[in-house]
Amino acid sequence: MSEQKLQSQTVQTTGHAWDGDLQEYNNPLPVWWVYTFYATVVFALVYWTIYPSWPFGKGWIGGVSDITYVNSEGETKTHSWNTRALFITDMNEAAVAQKPYFDKVAAMPYEQIAQDPDMSGFIISAGKSLFAENCAACHQAGGQGVIGFFPNLTDDDWLYGGSYEKLHETLVGGRRGYMPAFSEVLNGDQVDQLANYVASLSGIGHDADKAVAGDVLFHSETAACYYCHTNDATGRQDMGAPNLTDNIWLWADVPGARTAESKVAAIRGVISGGLNKGVMPAWSDRLTPEQIKVLTVYVHELGGGQ
Amino acid sequence: MAVTSYSGAEQYNFDIVKKFAVMSLVWAVVGMFVGVYIASELAWPFLNFDSPYFSFGRFRPVHTTSVIFGFGGSALFATSYYVVQRTCQTRLISDGMASFTFWGWMAIIVLADISYVLGYTQAREYAEMEWPIDILIEVVWVTYLILFVGTIMRRKQPHIYVANWFYLAFILATALLHTFNNLAMPIDLFSMKSYSLFSGTQDAMVQWWYGHNAVGFFLTAAFLGMMYYFVPKQAGRPIYSYRLSIVHFWALSFMYMWVGAHHLHWTALPDWTSSLAAAFSILLLMPSWGGMINGIMTLSGAWDKLRTDPVMRFMIVALSFYGMSTFEGPMMSLKEVNALSHYTDWTVGHVHSGALGWVAMISFGSLYHMMPKLWDTKIYSNKLVEVHFWLATIGIVLYIVAMWISGITQGLMWRAFDEFGNLQYSFVESVVAMMPFYAMRAIGGMFFLAGTMLMTYNMFMTIRQGKRESAALDARLAAKMAHA
Repeated sequence: MSEQKLQSQTVQTTGHAWDGDLQEYNNPLPVWWVYTFYATVVFALVYWTIYPSWPFGKGWIGGVSDITYVNSEGETKTHSWNTRALFITDMNEAAVAQKPYFDKVAAMPYEQIAQDPDMSGFIISAGKSLFAENCAACHQAGGQGVIGFFPNLTDDDWLYGGSYEKLHETLVGGRRGYMPAFSEVLNGDQVDQLANYVASLSGIGHDADKAVAGDVLFHSETAACYYCHTNDATGRQDMGAPNLTDNIWLWADVPGARTAESKVAAIRGVISGGLNKGVMPAWSDRLTPEQIKVLTVYVHELGGGQ
Repeated sequence: MAVTSYSGAEQYNFDIVKKFAVMSLVWAVVGMFVGVYIASELAWPFLNFDSPYFSFGRFRPVHTTSVIFGFGGSALFATSYYVVQRTCQTRLISDGMASFTFWGWMAIIVLADISYVLGYTQAREYAEMEWPIDILIEVVWVTYLILFVGTIMRRKQPHIYVANWFYLAFILATALLHTFNNLAMPIDLFSMKSYSLFSGTQDAMVQWWYGHNAVGFFLTAAFLGMMYYFVPKQAGRPIYSYRLSIVHFWALSFMYMWVGAHHLHWTALPDWTSSLAAAFSILLLMPSWGGMINGIMTLSGAWDKLRTDPVMRFMIVALSFYGMSTFEGPMMSLKEVNALSHYTDWTVGHVHSGALGWVAMISFGSLYHMMPKLWDTKIYSNKLVEVHFWLATIGIVLYIVAMWISGITQGLMWRAFDEFGNLQYSFVESVVAMMPFYAMRAIGGMFFLAGTMLMTYNMFMTIRQGKRESAALDARLAAKMAHA
C-alpha cells in the first residue's frame, strides 16, 4: 500500500473542484483490473462457444457442446446443448435405476416382495418418497394420522381391512366413510347413554347405569347401532364401520380429553353429529399400478398390516 | 424542520433534503421491523395468527417496498438533492416540484403498503403496486427527472461531478424500467386489478429485465452516486481515479441491461437468452468492482481513519460488502451454480448481503455525514454510531451465514437421489432442516433493526441539539442587535 500512497501523492488531480474540496486524482486504470476484465471477456467468448448463445437469422448459434439423449419414442438423438434434453437425460437416469425394481414389483406377489431382502431397500426408498409426496399431507410424515381427521396407518386397527388386497383396493378406488347424525332420532339422554356404553367397551371411566341403558339402546331398533358396528361392537370392515372395543380412536378425540366426563362428551359429539368427512381419494388415475403396489407394501409394513 | 440553518439557507433548498432524510430513517425502522416479523413467521409460523392480513405473502412486499423504495428511495432523494445542489453550486430549480416529489413519494409508499395488506398485487417482484399507484409513481418520477436535469443545466460549475452521472443514470433507467414493466390493462376503470400486456415467457423476461436493472440502477448505480460524494468528503481526500470512474460508469450502464435473464435459468426461457445473460453477468464483474476500487483507494493514505472514524468505517464496510456481493452475483449467474442456488435461501442471503451490507451501510454512513451538516451541528453521540456499526455488522454476518448454510442445504437436499433413483428427501424434510437457520436469520435481522433504531434515536437527538444551538445563536444575535 505504501507504493500506492506514493503514487497518489505524485499523481495530479484533474484540476476540477466541486463543493469546496471535492477533487479527483487522475490515476490510470489499475492494471490488474484491466487484465481481469480481459479475462472475463475471454471467459464470455468461451461460454458462448460452448453453450447456445447469440440469435442468428431465424435461429441461434447452437454452441459446440452436444447432448445425446433418448426421446419419448425411444430414438437416440443428438442436439446442441439444451435444458430440455438435459432434463430428459436426468430423468432417464433415475428411471433406468428404478426400472429393474419396478419390473420386479410388477411381477412378484406382495408376500414375496415383502420377504425379498433385495426388494426391501427399494420399497423403503421408493415408498418413502411416494408416501411423502402423496400421502403425508393427510396421514402425516410417519403415517401416524391426525385424530379427528385422518386415520393412523401404523397401528393394527383398520377401517377397511389391512390385508395387501384391501389396502390395494383402498388406494386404487378411494374410500368414503359415513355415519348418520343420531341427534335426528335420539334425545340427549339417549345419546348420553350410548356414549357411556361405548366408553365402557374400551374400559374408560363411565356411568354404569347409563352404560347399561346404552347397551340396550345399542342393540335396539331405535338406534340400531349394531347394524354396522355388529352385536359385539367390533365393527364391519366391509362397511368401514370401526371396532368400538379396542380403545383406538379416530373421530372422537378421547386420548386428548383429560377427564372421564370430557372423554364421554367427545364420544357423544360423534354420535349426535354423525360423520361425513371420511374421504380418501382414489389414486388409480394419479399413480402407476407399480407405484400403487409399492405403496401397498410400504403402508402394510408401516406397522399393522394384516 | 422550518428552522433555517445559517450555512447556505438561501443558497440551497435544504428543507427538502431534511424531510427526505428524516423519512428515510422512519421507513428504515418500519421496513426492517416488517422484515424481522416475516423472518420470524418462517421460523415460528404461529405469528401468522391464521389471518390473511398477517400472512407472509402480504407482508413480504410491505417489507421490500418499505426498505427499497421507502428507506432506500428517500435516502436517494435526500442525498441526490443535497449532492446536485452542492456540486452544481445552485439551488434546485423549483421548490414546488421538490415538495411534490416528497409528498408524492410518501403517498406512494403508504398506498402501496396498505394495498398489499388488503391483497392487491401485480405479483411482479419489486413492482407489486397496482396500476393507479404505478401512474402516481410515473408522475412523481418524471417530476424528479425534470428537477434533477434542470438543476444540472443551471449549474455554476463547468463540469458535472461524477456522483451526478450515477444519479442521473439511476433516474433515467428507473423511468424506463418502471414504464415498460408496468404496461398493463386495468379490468375496469374503478378496479385495482389489471393484467400485463405481455404473457408467458415474455412477461417473465420483461419482469426480470426490470427486476435485475432495479438492482443495477436503483440499488447499485444510485448508491454509487452517493458513495462518490460522501466517501471523498468524509475522507477529506480526492477520488482515486477519474479515469476509472468514467470507464466503469459506462461499462456498468451498458452491461447491466443484458443480465436480467439470469433470473430465469432452467425455465421456459430459450437457452441462448440464458447463456447470453450468464456471460454478460461475468463481464459485469469488473465494471462493478470499479466503484469499489475507486471508493476504497480514495482512503489510501488515510487508513488510520478506519480506526478513528466510525462513519468512515460504515462506508468502507459497505464497499467491501458491495465487492463481495457483486462477485457472488456473477458466480450465481452461471447455469451450473444456478442449478444449485436457484429457488433456495442462498438467493435471499445474496440479496441481503447487497441490501444490508452495501445499500443500507452506505446510506447510514452518508446520513451520518449529512444530517449533522443539515442542522448545522455535530453528531449527538459518536459512541452510539460505534455501537450501531457493530450491531449492524454482526446482524449482517448472522443473516448471510444462516442463508448460505440453509440455501446450500436446500439445494443439495432437493437434488439428492438415492441408489434406487428415488428422491432422497421429501420437500417437507428440507423445510424441517431450515428451522435453526430461519431462527438465526431472524436474530440477525433483530440485531440490524436494533442498530437502525439506535441510529434513529441518535439522529433525533442530533436534530434537537442542532435546533437548540441555532435558537441560542438567534437569541445571542438578537441581544447583540439590541445593544447596537
